Amino acid sequence: MFAILFSSVDVFSQEAKNDLLLNLSYFNNNNSYVYLKATAKTKIDGKFQLVKDVSVSFYINKDSAGNLLGKATTNDKGEAYLLVPASAKDAWNKSAKHGFVAVSTATKQFDETKANADITKAKLQIDTAEGRTVKVKVIELKDTAWVPVKGVELKVAVKRMDGDLNISETQSYTTDSTGAISAEFKRDSLPGDINSSLILVAKVEDNDQYGNLSVEKTVPWGSKFKYETNFYNRTLFARRGQSPMWLELMAYSIILAVWGVLIYLIIQLYKIKKIGRNPLP
Amino acid sequence: MENSAKQKVIEELLPQKFGKQGKIWVGILLTLCIIGLIAYIRQLSKGLVVTAMRDYVSWGIYISNFVFFVAISLVGSLITAVLRLTDVHWSTPLTRIAEIIAVSAITFASIIIIVDMGRPDRFYNLFIHGRLQSPIVWDVIVITTYFFISLLLLYFPLLPDLQIMLRYKEKTNKWLYKLYHYLGSFWKNTAGQIKMSERAINILSVTIIPVAFSIHTVTSWLFATTYRPGWDSTNFGAYFISGAFLVGAGGVVVAMYVFRTHYKLEKYITDGHFDKMGKILVMLALLYLYFNVNEYLIPAFKMKKPEEEHLRGLFTGEFAPIFWFAVSMAMFFPILILLFKKGRKPLPAFIAGLMVVIGSWFKRYLIVTPTLLHPFLPMQDVPDSYRHYFPTWEEWAIAVGSLAGALLIITFFARIFPIIPIQETITETEQHEKA
Repeated sequence: MFAILFSSVDVFSQEAKNDLLLNLSYFNNNNSYVYLKATAKTKIDGKFQLVKDVSVSFYINKDSAGNLLGKATTNDKGEAYLLVPASAKDAWNKSAKHGFVAVSTATKQFDETKANADITKAKLQIDTAEGRTVKVKVIELKDTAWVPVKGVELKVAVKRMDGDLNISETQSYTTDSTGAISAEFKRDSLPGDINSSLILVAKVEDNDQYGNLSVEKTVPWGSKFKYETNFYNRTLFARRGQSPMWLELMAYSIILAVWGVLIYLIIQLYKIKKIGRNPLP
Repeated sequence: MENSAKQKVIEELLPQKFGKQGKIWVGILLTLCIIGLIAYIRQLSKGLVVTAMRDYVSWGIYISNFVFFVAISLVGSLITAVLRLTDVHWSTPLTRIAEIIAVSAITFASIIIIVDMGRPDRFYNLFIHGRLQSPIVWDVIVITTYFFISLLLLYFPLLPDLQIMLRYKEKTNKWLYKLYHYLGSFWKNTAGQIKMSERAINILSVTIIPVAFSIHTVTSWLFATTYRPGWDSTNFGAYFISGAFLVGAGGVVVAMYVFRTHYKLEKYITDGHFDKMGKILVMLALLYLYFNVNEYLIPAFKMKKPEEEHLRGLFTGEFAPIFWFAVSMAMFFPILILLFKKGRKPLPAFIAGLMVVIGSWFKRYLIVTPTLLHPFLPMQDVPDSYRHYFPTWEEWAIAVGSLAGALLIITFFARIFPIIPIQETITETEQHEKA
């Protein structure tokens, strides 16, 4: 009887597994390093929720042990990142097109899940030779030659603290037959660093064929950053010893006046005492 | 004044030993102080977690008590200084009562502020790292100053009485005689001494008024310089001072009745004193009521959202019972009682004074705590205990212990020193007879 009861409890305690949605993205930053990002989500109560602590294995071309690039675990945002290692150089150089595979490890909650990303090697070239005009070119690798690509949508922006700011009102540009776009920098008086430098960024986002590409260039188009602080000024909110002079004058004169009176009265008390010891006849 | 009459005055006004009632009273106060001390030791060893103060309510009944003590201490300046400088002589028998209330209250105001600190061992940092721009530093400076002025104002008029008590060695014990000798043996009643003492008292009477105004204005600024509903007011300095004079005067009326009844001082604290103090109390209650109307009507007229929540909490919400109790006790009922001549007789005036004191304590609580429970940003993802505040037994014990401590100082003072100035009474009677 107890065995049945406990076995039934055991049966109920087994939770049904949820579907894990795994997404794989390819990134090429500044034509210098390549990394992969896997995003894990699941649907709970009709809402997508990010899943953390999912172990993901990344492969190049196919998911076999010899093609393993590395492993990573999803963070609080459900994202796992892997920088394509130098050991994968030979496999990378073999072809102009690659397929990447991400495989999540099966857990109590989720079955093993796979995601693919097929890309053609491409890169961005940025040029600012003519005044404040930014020229960006998209080229892809065909066999062994880099050729311009027409019809690729890209954005040109300037890097700011909380994100990228488009350099003009135009949100995005599409490459012409030479694989290039031309954009005017229209952000006057944008604060730069101490050398007036701004960082331009051109990026292709979530392109089916090329993934995510970006390239950066530092230009002296910002207004010079001037460090201003009132830390050393005398203010009401300053640190100890830096109170405004008017406050110090007022406070200390009141304190001195009142305590001066008190000291005077204490002296009077001593005088009263003295008179008491040697009273006049 | 004949010598026998003088003798009689002196004998009637000399401090008396505790009777049975006095001993019971001291026993009760000492017990309350010891319970408070035990609670404080618990707080010291376990930390402020033994209190109900949490992230939002960081100022509970300790700070309410602090504001109450500072408020009641202002009575020293009202009775001793304001009435003295305006040449009001009927207040002479009340000056010492007012001054000892001031000294004991300001002593416990200083103590209770340290009790509110989680780490009192770090108190010295206030002096090492304190900023002149901070109202907390102003409060420390002004409380210390007020304490010394009150002490001097208590001591100077006491000198002639000490000399009288030294003459009555047989009526005192060895220890008290030593104390009187130490404090006042140098007083010989010479013309020079009297002149210097009179002058000192006059200087003190002038000095104490701005300092008394500063002490409570600065205390009000601890709140008013903070941008919070209920505190963000330019009215706060005057509002606090009017409330302080009210509670101080109420405290004096209560003390007058207790001393008069217990020590049989009907000849010195007369019905006339109650009548006059009753009138003062009505005036102060009306003044405080006026400031209360200002304090609540104007924000209520504009009804900014955060103010609205705070005001609704006070008038009809969580704090409504305490709010209406405090307002009725501190203002409405005393005004109703004391407006009539019969209400200014000793017993009704005593009841009205007691109401003022009790109501004023709760009023201080209402000034301090409800604001903290109405922050600008909503309280989210916090335990339920953070959303409300009800003091723990440790807080009650410490708060009640501190009130008992203040009463104990007054009680012991009345046991050791004459609670009505003897020499001044004799002098004024003589002047009255000459006139």
